[in-house]
Formats: sequence, C-alpha cells, structure tokens
Amino acid sequence: MASASSGAPMRKVVDYELLFDCVHCGLCLEACPTYALKRAEMDSPRGRIYLMKALAEGRLPLDSDAARHLDLCLGCRGCETACPSGVHYGRLIEDARAFVEANYRRSLMDRTRRAIVNAIFPYPARLRALLAPLKSIERAGLRPALAAMLPRAMREWIELLPPLSGCADERAAMPPAADPGAPAVVVHHGCVAQVLANSENLASEAVLAAAGYRVVRMANTACCGALDLHSGNRDRALDFARRNVRMLAACGADAIISAASGCSTAIAEYGALLRDDPELAGLAKSVSATVRDLSALLLERGLPTMRKLECTVTFHDACHLVHGLGVREGPRKLLSSIPGVRLIELAESDLCCGSAGNYNLTEPEMARELARRKVDNIIATGADYVVMANPGCEFQIAAELRRRRANIKVIHLARFLAMALAG
Amino acid sequence: MRADGFSSAYGCDNFVFPFGRGGFRDRGIRSENPSIIARATAGANAVSAICCAIVHGVSADVIGIAATPLDSRLVDELAAIVGRDGIVSRPSELKVYECDGWTVEKNSPDLLVMPRTTEQVSAVLKALWRRGLPFVPRGAGTGLSGGALPVNAPVMICTSKMNHILAIDLANRRVEVESGVVNLHVTNAIKRDGFFYAPDPSSQQACTIGGNIAENSGGPHTLKYGVTTNHVMGLTLVLADGEVVELGGWAEERCGYDLVGAVVGAEGTAGIVTRAVLKIVREPEDHRTLLATFADVEAATRAVSAIIAAGIVPGAIEMMDQLIIRAVEDAFHAGLPADAGAVLIIELDGLVAGLDECAARVTEIARSAGASEVRLARDEAERAGLWKARKRAFGAVGRLAPNYATQDGVVPRTRLPDILRVIGAVSKKYHLAIGNVFHAGDGNIHPIILYDERKPEEVRAAVEAGREILAACVEMGGSLTGEHGIGVEKQGEMPLLFSPEDLIAMTELRRVFDPMERSNPNKVIPRPGSCVEVAAPRRQVPI
Ligand SMILES: Cc1cc2nc3c(=O)[nH]c(=O)nc-3n(C[C@H](O)[C@H](O)[C@H](O)COP(=O)(O)OP(=O)(O)OC[C@H]3O[C@@H](n4cnc5c(N)ncnc54)[C@H](O)[C@@H]3O)c2cc1C
Ligand code: SF4
Ligand code: SF4
Repeated sequence: MASASSGAPMRKVVDYELLFDCVHCGLCLEACPTYALKRAEMDSPRGRIYLMKALAEGRLPLDSDAARHLDLCLGCRGCETACPSGVHYGRLIEDARAFVEANYRRSLMDRTRRAIVNAIFPYPARLRALLAPLKSIERAGLRPALAAMLPRAMREWIELLPPLSGCADERAAMPPAADPGAPAVVVHHGCVAQVLANSENLASEAVLAAAGYRVVRMANTACCGALDLHSGNRDRALDFARRNVRMLAACGADAIISAASGCSTAIAEYGALLRDDPELAGLAKSVSATVRDLSALLLERGLPTMRKLECTVTFHDACHLVHGLGVREGPRKLLSSIPGVRLIELAESDLCCGSAGNYNLTEPEMARELARRKVDNIIATGADYVVMANPGCEFQIAAELRRRRANIKVIHLARFLAMALAG
Repeated sequence: MRADGFSSAYGCDNFVFPFGRGGFRDRGIRSENPSIIARATAGANAVSAICCAIVHGVSADVIGIAATPLDSRLVDELAAIVGRDGIVSRPSELKVYECDGWTVEKNSPDLLVMPRTTEQVSAVLKALWRRGLPFVPRGAGTGLSGGALPVNAPVMICTSKMNHILAIDLANRRVEVESGVVNLHVTNAIKRDGFFYAPDPSSQQACTIGGNIAENSGGPHTLKYGVTTNHVMGLTLVLADGEVVELGGWAEERCGYDLVGAVVGAEGTAGIVTRAVLKIVREPEDHRTLLATFADVEAATRAVSAIIAAGIVPGAIEMMDQLIIRAVEDAFHAGLPADAGAVLIIELDGLVAGLDECAARVTEIARSAGASEVRLARDEAERAGLWKARKRAFGAVGRLAPNYATQDGVVPRTRLPDILRVIGAVSKKYHLAIGNVFHAGDGNIHPIILYDERKPEEVRAAVEAGREILAACVEMGGSLTGEHGIGVEKQGEMPLLFSPEDLIAMTELRRVFDPMERSNPNKVIPRPGSCVEVAAPRRQVPI
C-alpha cells in the first residue's frame, strides 16, 4: 500500500479498502449510544472510522486518546443498521481492536481487568469454580454484606450477577423427542450463558420442542469466540471458531440458534472470519448459513395454544439480534400472539443497554450511563415485564432495576414463551 | 495510492498545535488542494474576479480588528462557561471535525466548544468577541456544501448538546426546540398525536434543526408543504457579540420586516440560532404511494410535468435514475425494478375521500407519459420500504464509489428533460458516473457525481462537472441550490446568478446581523480563498 500524504508509512490497522465505504454523511450519529451520551464525534461511528483511517495512514499515533475512543465503542453495530452506505463497521472495529491490543500498552488497572475477564469468562469450568464460594455466601444470605465490603469496581461486578440460586446449572433432560422427520435444531449453550443463564437455554429447547422441532445437542460446548473477537484477541477467537465449526457441523442440525444473540451473530459470521482458512472455510460458511433466530423458527411452525397471561410487556432489542441478525418484528409478533399480553413499545428500544459482551466489566462508567438511560425508558412504559433475547442484557438491566428498586420483571423471550406454554 | 497534493490538506503538518505559539496559522485551505485549483480555473472568468474585488472593497472596514491569539487562558475561560466536557482542544481529536458531508475540502478547527444553553452560547461568543475571534457554527455536520468547514474561523461551536424539545403545543400546532434537536426527533415526539414536522431532508435521522434553518433545507414533502422557512415561526439568535435576540414568535402573522426569513438560509452567517419555534402539521388522513416505472428519465420527467399540469399536487414526487435504482436495490432489495431506466415515487395524501380517484388519474397520466408499470403500495410496510429506499439512496451510492459530490441545482420543472440531457453529456465528457435522484416535483435536481478522492484528477473533474451542471441550471432560468446551500462549495458560482451589486446588497444585509463578519466567515459570498485569482487583499483575522 502506498504511503499516506504525510509520507508516514501505512500501517495495517484494518482492511484499508473497507474504510472507503464510509462517505462521511453522518447518518449514523444518532444511532450510536456513545454519541448519544457524549455528543462528540470522536465517540461516533463516523469519528471512529476517521480515526482508523488516520491511524492506518500513519497520520495519528496510537496514543491514549485514540485507544480511548476505540475502547469506548460497544461494538453494538447500531451504526451498521443506520448506515446507508453499507459500512462493515463490525469487521472494522474487530480488526482495529486487535491492532490496539498488539500495539498499545494499557494502564495496570485496565490490564488486570481485561486479563481477569479473558482468563475466566470463556471457560465455564473456571467461572463455576469462581462462583462456587459466592453461591454459598448467597445461600447464607450474605451477598449484600459481601458486596458492601468490596471496592467499587468489584462491587459493580458482583451487582451484575443474577441471583445464583436461580441459575439452572445442570443439564436438564432433553425435551421429549419429536417426530423423527422434523427439522433438527441445536441450541448453542454458550460459555457464560451455560453457567449463569442455563434456564434460558433450556427454555429455548422447550419452546422449540413445543413447536415440533427435533432438539439436538452438541457433544460439548465451547465459547463461540465473540468475547475474544470484540476485545481484540483474534487468535484465540479463531481457535474457538474452528472448534465450534467442527462441533456444530458434527451435530447435524438443520438450524443453529443461541439464547444469546451475540453468540448467534458470531456463529453467523464464522464464514467471513474463517474465509481464508485452508481447511475449514467451506464448512464455516455452511455452518454460518444455518444460523437462525428463535422467533423466526417458532413463527414458521407455529406454537400450540398458549394460556392467557394478563399483563403488559415491553421488548428490548438486544444489539446483536436487531443490528447483527436484523431481527426486529419476530419477537414482537410472538409476544402479541399470547392471549392477554399487551405489548407497549419501548422508546429507544434498539439503543444498547451497555452490557455489550464484557463491556460492562471493562468500561463500567459508560455501561452504567447507558443502563440508566435504558431503565428510564423501561420504567416510562409502565410495563409488568421487560422481555429480551439475550442474557447479557438481562443481567445488566436487572441490576439497574434492582438499584432503582423498580418492580419490573426482566425475562428472556424463551422463558416468557415457556411460561405461556406451561400448564 | 494517495495523492500528495490533495491529502496534504489534512496531512500531519496540520497537527501542529497552535496554542501557546503566540498565534495561529492562516486557516485558508491549502492551495495544493485540487478543488481549489479547479475553482481557480473555473473562477477565471472576469465577472467572478471583479465581484470578489468589489465585495472585498466593501468590507475593507472590517480589516483592522485586532485578534488575540487562541491561548490556554481562553480555553480555561470557555471551560468555565461550558464545562471541561464541553471543550475539545486536542488536535488529534479535532481531526474528526475537519469536514462535514462535503469532503472535498478539509480544515480542522483549533478548538471545539459544545455549549448547552443559549446563555452559554452568549457567554462563549462574548469571550470570542473580546478577542476578535471568528467562529463557525456546526450542527450534525451532514451539510453537503462545506458550510461547517472552518475557514479562518479558529473556533467551532457545535450544538450537539442543545438537543431538548422545550415545548409541544398541539392546539396551536407549534413546537419549540433547541437548535441541536435532530429533525426526525421532532416528528417522533408528536407522531403519536397525529402530527409531523414537514420539512424532511433525506438526512433527517441525523441533521439538526439549526442546520436545517441555516440551509433552509427541504425534502420530498416540501413540494406540498414548503421548505424550512415556511415552518419556522420564531427564533432565538445569538449575535456574534453575544447579544441574544428574539425574532418572530408563536403567532402566524407578523408585521414589519421578516427578520426570521432573513436568518433562515443565512448559512450561519447571521449568528448562532439556539432555539426555534416550529410549525407542525397534521398527518394526512391517508396516503396512496405509487411506484411508476419508465424506460428513461425523459419519459419520467414528462410524467411529472403532466401530473402537476393536471392540477394535482402530490405530497411528493421523487425520481431515481438507473444508476441509483441499481445501487439501492443492491443495498436494500427494496423491490424496485432493477432494469428500469427511471422510476417515480409519487405520494398522494389528504382526506380519504377522493384519494383513490386521484391515484387512478395519476396512474393514467403516468401511463400515457410512457410508464410501463404503475404499482400501488399495498400496505404501510411496502410504503415504508419505498421511502426507505429513497431516503437512503444517497448513502447507497457510497457503495459504488469511495466518494461522491452531490450537486443541488434547480430548474423550472418543464426543463427537467433538458438538464438531464446536459448531465448525461457532462458525465461522458468527464468520464465520471453521475446518478440522479431528486425531488422532481419542484425541479430540484441532485446529480450525484462519483469519484475517488485518491485520484486527484477525478477530484478536479468532479468539481468541474458539478460546476458545468450548475451553470446549465442557471442558463435555463434556475438556481444554484435548492436546499444544500452555497457554503464554500458554490461560492465561486454565485456570480453566475448574481451581479456584483446583488452580492454587495447581500453582504450589507448580513452585516446588519454580523457587522464584523465573525460568524461563519468566508461563506456564501465569494471571497479570496474561493476565487484565488484575486490575490487576497486582506485576511479575515489579522494575525
Ligand atoms: C445523505 C444526505 C442526504 C441529504 N439530504 C438532504 C435533503 O434531502 N434536503 C436537504 O435540504 N439537505 C439534505 N442534506 C444536507 C444536510 O443534511 C442539510 O443541509 C442539513 O440541514 C444540515 O444540517 P446539520 O445539522 O448537519 O448542519 P451542519 O452540516 O452541521 O451545518 C450546516 C450549516 O448550518 C450552520 N449551522 C448549523 N447549526 C447552526 C445554528 N444552530 N445556528 C446557525 N448556523 C448553524 C453551519 O455553520 C453550516 O453552515 C443531506 C445530507 C446528506 C449527508
Ligand atoms: S458499534 Fe455501536 S458504539 Fe460502536 S460506533 Fe457503532 S453504534 Fe457506536
Ligand atoms: S452512516 Fe455510514 S457512510 Fe455515513 S458516516 Fe456513518 S458509517 Fe460513514
């Protein structure tokens, strides 16, 4: 690649040509959560793309400012939905993050935070081991006391955890076998999700079975790699992706879903991620092509009659569901089809709640501000339930609702449907 | 491959931090910029040169103001007014403010200030006034004529934090908003009650009311409802010396001179608008949205004239040519006929009674003008799909080329076929693809010229091509801009439309509001720097 105007050498930050998809029109500004709060362009998609370009052309050093503005991006892809020019922002930020990780040294505090997250979260066994003592503390009713003793940063992490006693940790029995000719669906159980949100996984399987799908399981579930991809650990992300491609292909499902939309999007993008893999490129592409959304599958075959649930609900669009997979109407249709349920539209329903994978652990301040804004909007609906299709959002929003002592129940779409189907 | 000449306009050398060096450099856009070279050749006609000289002669009294350099004391003073988080002063961060949607020319401000209230704007402008520092207002930076480009204006004042809707008065059909409120957010706030804010630029999801007022923006629905100026009833304006003035108000009819009208369309040269009272309109009872397919743009434009000649005023008539249709289809799969030469989106709105007959008449007229198919949107989803395709057409073109320059000329409606022929010829002459998507109902064309900023000869050709199209518009009895404004982009072409006397009169009007020309200097009226052959007799800020 030629050198930039300044004569500085070009640097490999992102796929340079992709930057030219951006025509600097600014239509993405208001769709960006960080711009919505900060109101300055450095923290907008247009600004970040400009920054990547300047970094690539060697016109800007990778200093703390540059790293800051890239770090603050939630990777929510609200900008992709808003952009008329088809900018592949997700790919740009993933590559830019890898560049930052490789070339920038963070503060000790930041490094520690990130190291903990990287070492624990993608590995369910480690997370379980870590949470075991906390579970006992919780059983003894001492969780609030413990939280109060901890320094702020750790306290906020603890606050994000759902009540651990409510987590269906074990592998439940498979839902009853359906007609052997029915299409097979596998629910990817995720990494954090299988520890903290297994009931969401099980509920997904149950409602799929109720709609007549044949539910199959993976022999073994590994992290989908999204956490790594979003925090710039490209190599490990590729490893995870390869393992998943093999395992998903082996389980022979006609459709792949995940109760966590971030994982669904990641799997749907394996094809692009592994496009240069000599061995797995083709398989990755076909695995990605089988990713579906729970609501679409359920609408396709239809659900049996549901019981009446006299309540008001509002729906929060998880970023990777709405911006990654483009699913907006399906969940709303399902909810409205439940007798007695009245759906109230949530203002800014597709603005990120700040959870964003592990963002609320690494960027607690911005995450918290977004949670406040989200919960303001939720409270304004006056609904009994706020429904969503991503466990990360559930933790984030529930934590903020608990802090406000608001009496609105947070529930995953699959669990809400399971509730309507039960009994 | 990047071209040295062009991109050095935003190269590393611009990073030198001017604070504390006892002054700042000439902010004039660097002359290696090919667009300036283009303008130099383009502007080489005598009228332009003379006019520049005269206008500058008139403004000679402004030359002598002493400017204090931008120093850290100023930054502290401004931070005390707006808070630290309302100031951006690091050059690396200011880079992203070096251009708006017009990316041909770039120049960073030295300082960005984001005030939250009218009082803060006033206090900030007072501080700048005392130091003789000019400033450039900015909304969302979606402008397409470089209006928010700093030219000899070291301080940029951005309204992004003034984004509150202050009052909604449905009974009187008014809303009062801060100027940084996003256009679409106004409609979103009143939609549930059956109202909307009619001027709807395609950029409405991001552009601000302040920017709309400055550019007198329009959109598809302005054919029936009018442009921004028809919807702004009152304004709060902060003059360059910090004085706050209220113009107009909530009432429909006013006496005396229309000062609100003078500020709307002034492109930020009258001061900073901080609040506006807007007229809102009732949602029509119903819509009929038609998609008419034609073999070529000529047939489509004939249909437009015929519809309006029949006495029908649709809510909107939008045209897209083949290049745009393809781009939009590739991007959104909106269901447009991919092989059509042109399509019209015609929206009829009003009382339910009569709408279907009207739609039938329009269908008939379109057919006799040569439409091969006229399709009625069956439901709201289909209608929304068509509008989404239209509104996002500009951006979709971004998929075809790295850069585009959107022209914005106006011709009498009946001359649409002629101007489209000219555009076709210009496209061939400069070997540049040009797409057309525009508000056909009011003759406001938007040729989109595709180029690649990495090829200086293409940048030059794009600027030349745009100029040639505009000259043709003027020749046909039209105008240089329908809604995007003059900014810096079309300064050089002003003399095509206006005599030197006209330009002087305009300058004098501007000075009623801003006698020292500190608010968005060097815009609209041709200036040295835009017509570079007039060796600049003065600089805006003596330093
Ligand atoms: C994809 C795309 C489509 C577009 N479609 C249309 C269209 O259909 N119709 C149309 O009319 N325009 C259109 N535009 C142009 C642009 O969006 C409008 O000109 C818009 O009004 C600019 O608003 P802004 O907030 O972005 O202003 P900016 O670009 O930030 O500024 C524009 C001008 O207004 C001045 N200004 C901004 N705020 C204030 C204030 N508070 N007080 C005084 N001066 C101020 C600035 O100094 C500058 O001169 C389009 C642009 C894009 C990128
Ligand atoms: S991914 Fe989200 S936070 Fe990041 S730039 Fe896009 S909209 Fe903003
Ligand atoms: S909307 Fe797309 S093209 Fe426009 S500025 Fe944002 S990223 Fe760039």
